Amino acid sequence: MTEGSRTWAVPGGRVPEGSTGAEPENTSYDMLCLLNTGREDASISIWLYYEDKLPVGPYPIEVKAERVRHVRLNDLIDPEAMPLGIEYGILVRSSVPIAVQYWRQDTSRGKAIATAMAMPLD
Amino acid sequence: MNIRPETLHPNRAEMANWSGSLVFRPRFLEAPRNEDEAAAIVHQAARRGLKVRPTGRLHSSSPIIATDDVAVSMRNMKGVFEHDTEERWALVGAGTPLDEMGRDLNDIGLATHNLGDINVQTVVGAVSTCTHGSGRRLTNLATMLIGGRMITADGDVRDIGSDIIPAARASMGTLGMFTALKLRLLPRYRLRRREWCTTLDACFGQLEELSCRCRNLDMYWYPRSDRVKLRTLDPPGEGQERIGGAKLVLEREGWSSEVLSRKRVLRFDEMEYAVPIEAGPECFLEVRKRIMERHRRAVGWRVLYRYVAADDAYLSTAHGRDTVTISLHQNNTLPYGEYFDDIERIFLRYGGRPHWGKKHNLGAEELEPLYPQWAEFRRLRRKLDPEGVFLTDYMSTLLEEEG
Repeated sequence: MTEGSRTWAVPGGRVPEGSTGAEPENTSYDMLCLLNTGREDASISIWLYYEDKLPVGPYPIEVKAERVRHVRLNDLIDPEAMPLGIEYGILVRSSVPIAVQYWRQDTSRGKAIATAMAMPLD
Repeated sequence: MNIRPETLHPNRAEMANWSGSLVFRPRFLEAPRNEDEAAAIVHQAARRGLKVRPTGRLHSSSPIIATDDVAVSMRNMKGVFEHDTEERWALVGAGTPLDEMGRDLNDIGLATHNLGDINVQTVVGAVSTCTHGSGRRLTNLATMLIGGRMITADGDVRDIGSDIIPAARASMGTLGMFTALKLRLLPRYRLRRREWCTTLDACFGQLEELSCRCRNLDMYWYPRSDRVKLRTLDPPGEGQERIGGAKLVLEREGWSSEVLSRKRVLRFDEMEYAVPIEAGPECFLEVRKRIMERHRRAVGWRVLYRYVAADDAYLSTAHGRDTVTISLHQNNTLPYGEYFDDIERIFLRYGGRPHWGKKHNLGAEELEPLYPQWAEFRRLRRKLDPEGVFLTDYMSTLLEEEG
């Protein structure tokens, strides 16, 4: 049995530009937590939407069957690195149903964690 | 030599380099199949006052491959022509791609002493621009050149003799058009490639010692996390079984030609400077600080730190000094100018020499003080090509303008 959805959205992305404290543990970041409970590997495409330019993607990600994978959006460079400090939205498409959680660490002033489930669209 | 009347082929198409950041439109596009055709191209061009520029596989992102006149691909002159496994040399076609050459040499029991991270360039392009891998005791690929043949500016074929080898090893196609290269090689050998993930704080203090212990060592630093990937290659059974604070994430053994390079699909622009090895750590830390303070917003690509042993080629970026190279990368779809230009100022303060085939902003006036044999290279270049057949406007800016 597989749980989740194939399409997910996060409208409120914004990687904090500043970081304080020793890195990498204190680097500010946006992260997607991808959970694949099914028996098939998930081929996932991430698209990033911006205020002033066309969407950028797909960022290809694989999550093995019955595995979880955390992906820091700051680190992605394929097809291109995303700019920090600006608003963006995330669309996740998967070949099989998955669950998607959004996670932000902001260390620009102290250390703040914010997290929410992404919105299933199908 | 029989010069055919219709030697040059008109061209209207634009050419772009590998990253796409360099676009030019040569009037003539040539791909000679043998030395007679190559000689005829040069002869015709010289007679008509045109410039001749070898393009390699268009991998360079500096304008050394660009021309408005005659662009020449040596793709039809490839393969291993002669070899001697006991004497450890091979004569190869100038247009042989490094990956094909590696397989062919391996089949006959030979191998290059090193390779770069990418191996799609032609051997003549790699040799002519001082392309290199990483290893404290390993010189760049230009040092493999021990002979061969070239087309001179007047369209004759001549040997690349020992009298011009120190200049020819890093000559960027400005002495003549090389058609075949005689390379000094090694018996084929196997390596174990290992990749380790760690952080800069955990590994940087060990780097000096690791660089002495490992045959090949390089370091990728990731600016948006301060994380690091180390890559080590050693003969099977040798090298590091563990690195303090690092996690082994990949291990693979194979012939050197199979494991020294990796396939790269994602395209990027690059700036690389070679600094004296003793200045490497301090220079890198200053680059890192500047990137974290000023460029992280737009830059996600890693910075590459590598080692190259000294050699004596006149225009080698490692001429007379053991060297560390530091490379900046940016996606080819994103702006790179502000980032590269800003960090270039740091490289220059450490006596950096730019990679000939990558982005930089230097001309002859700034380059001349960096190379003790600059004047000798220029004298020899002018002697071999007095009319400047192999000197485009950019190459003239790079090599010829007096300070």
